Amino acid sequence: MADQELTLLEQLEKESRAKQAKFIGGIAEKLGRKDIAQKPQHPFRGAPDFWNQLNWTQEEKIERFMDNWQSVGGHAARFQTMEEAKQFIVDRANEFGARHMIRQNQPELNELGLEEALPETDIRVWNSDPEEYWKAHAAGADIGVAVVDHAIAYTGTITVLSSPDKGRSVTLLPTVMMAIIPVERLKTRMGEVMEKIDGMRREDLPAGIHFITGPSRSSDIENDLTIGVHGPGIVYALIVG
Amino acid sequence: MSHGQQASTVKERSHIALNNEFLRKAVKFTTERLRNGKKKATEEHGNWEEWRERGRQIRLHTIAHLDYYLNQFVENARANGVHVHFAADGKEAVELSMKIAASKQTRSVVKSKSMVSEELHINAALEKMGIEAVETDLGEYIIQLAGETPSHIIIPAIHKNRYQIAELLSKEAGETLPADTSILAGFVRRKLREKFLDAEIGMTGCNFAIAETGSMVLFENEGNARMVSTVPKTQITLMGMERIIPTFADLEVMATLLPRSATGQKLTVYMSAISGPKRDADADGPEEMHIIIVDNGRSLQLGDPEFQELLNCIRCGACLNACPVYRHIGGHAYGGTYSGPIGAVLTPALQSNVAEWDDIANASSLCGACYEACPVKIPLHDMLVYLRNRKVEKGYGQTAEKIGMKGFAAIMSNSKRMRSVIKMGQIGQKLVARQGMIKTKIGPLKGWNSVRYLPSLPNQSFRERWGTLEQEVQASNPKMSDEVRQRMEQALEQRKNGGRHHG
Repeated sequence: MADQELTLLEQLEKESRAKQAKFIGGIAEKLGRKDIAQKPQHPFRGAPDFWNQLNWTQEEKIERFMDNWQSVGGHAARFQTMEEAKQFIVDRANEFGARHMIRQNQPELNELGLEEALPETDIRVWNSDPEEYWKAHAAGADIGVAVVDHAIAYTGTITVLSSPDKGRSVTLLPTVMMAIIPVERLKTRMGEVMEKIDGMRREDLPAGIHFITGPSRSSDIENDLTIGVHGPGIVYALIVG
Repeated sequence: MSHGQQASTVKERSHIALNNEFLRKAVKFTTERLRNGKKKATEEHGNWEEWRERGRQIRLHTIAHLDYYLNQFVENARANGVHVHFAADGKEAVELSMKIAASKQTRSVVKSKSMVSEELHINAALEKMGIEAVETDLGEYIIQLAGETPSHIIIPAIHKNRYQIAELLSKEAGETLPADTSILAGFVRRKLREKFLDAEIGMTGCNFAIAETGSMVLFENEGNARMVSTVPKTQITLMGMERIIPTFADLEVMATLLPRSATGQKLTVYMSAISGPKRDADADGPEEMHIIIVDNGRSLQLGDPEFQELLNCIRCGACLNACPVYRHIGGHAYGGTYSGPIGAVLTPALQSNVAEWDDIANASSLCGACYEACPVKIPLHDMLVYLRNRKVEKGYGQTAEKIGMKGFAAIMSNSKRMRSVIKMGQIGQKLVARQGMIKTKIGPLKGWNSVRYLPSLPNQSFRERWGTLEQEVQASNPKMSDEVRQRMEQALEQRKNGGRHHG
């Protein structure tokens, strides 16, 4: 079976390469060129210049982020230390009676000691054993905990990048998501995050880059807002620092 | 997918819609909600015109160099480990998808919303192979259960009320569900969770594709597109060949324009950029990823000065919400995959089908609200005029209309003829005019008078009154000053020599 599949992929690959010249050549021809265009000047790249001047103070960023996150139905809180954030997570887990939790395998979370603080709760660390079926663990979790890579104040958005230690499922499949935002990762504009991504080498890009702005929602039934249709319906943003 | 019995013309289809009171109210309510949301969001954001202009420039630039950017995207996506395929038309795209699906020996495919897949009717093809195709967007899931097609690009089940939805879902659940939104949505969440975990293949559309990194980008609110691109082992993405933007920096502009224009959100709940299958050591994400780049009539607009800008469209649906005709007749009346002003132009343009051009292009009042609403400034109302133009040029005008126009020209070009025709009308209408109105529906008056009345001709026409009017004007107006007269005579002289045009 595997053999046959390989041949199909190889065959499709061959067809694709053969077709590429004709497909893209056809586009060039329609655009009035004999050959495919050389790298063009790109004069209008990204946001207008005036926009790139926008930079809020840290206090403004925190305030605007929390306003935006709450206005779409998320919960937000601010803490001075990771210890306080941990206490908050522990309190919520106890309050909800969480039996299964899953967290990213990040140094900040390893140091947090959630496991000791919640001895009754089964807390899994993403991909800590490559033999296990981690998507199922995430799907069965009541709460998923992650430290974000970036956050954007203007839209109230967090950004998470995938890696072997950071599952995409952790921020997607559990009923509740808790996102810890170290305050120095909070930016004013999306463009600041894009600059970092554009600055990465292609081969260093993660498979998944996810921008998350509040709880999963839908208005598909009679325009009536429903929260938590597929993704987490309860989302916490915990700003630390 | 079965569409049921499709009425053949816009007029017939719109009659079905107009008779359905609920649909009309729902469409009106939804489009108004979305339109107000957009207005609020753009005002709050500020400098909207500058953002629109920037969005237009980026799209114009990318399409003008589509050969370069598409090629760059393909090379980078391949380097990321994606299997890239090319489909010249819908048939090829379906064949490719079926080949991949067949090799996986899968029973079901989970899909997130994709207008391209609607274009290709891929669900029907999968079902023919005995593979269950499950739409996972809440609205799409509902209309799939009903065996219908989307009526709005953003809110596909706009035409269903919650009692109808409860009935559909109850059948699926095998028990009676109350018509309560959160209970219905909760049922769909549980039901589709099973489907996600069960499916071998996830199928997505593509909002944008980034040339410099080979990434594909999805905008959504529910999380189903993330599910489809995270849980199944194989991901197949259907991408219109014009979805390209050069860089992530450009994505900031699209992310500013698209959600605000579509629903008035600052950003959709999820915006996901996926750059290839999962890395070896990752524990989720697809192991195998395919991107099928679809032409299906798009290249017909390339190099066509009147229609190339159609390729700039970012599929936000703002023109639907702004359009007085759409608000009245709803999406199904357009009869194609895309509805509203964009559908009226895109459907005939993609199919290059002259015979169908006339029908949908005439379902527009040419008021320009679609252009005003468009976040990348596509001149849709101009394109509708070009379409009508081409239809007439190709000889698809109506014979009666042609004869009418010839007759009109003959009468209007001769003042004696004009006078006698009006006289005849004034005498003739005595048979049918009552209280200044003509209400009869005989002959050519049928179409007009079935929805409104024709005013009758006045007893004395403007031309007949002109002699008296001129005398009155001469008497009441002070004599023109020499200076003004001189200037006007000069202007008249200039006009004789070819003159100057306005604008």
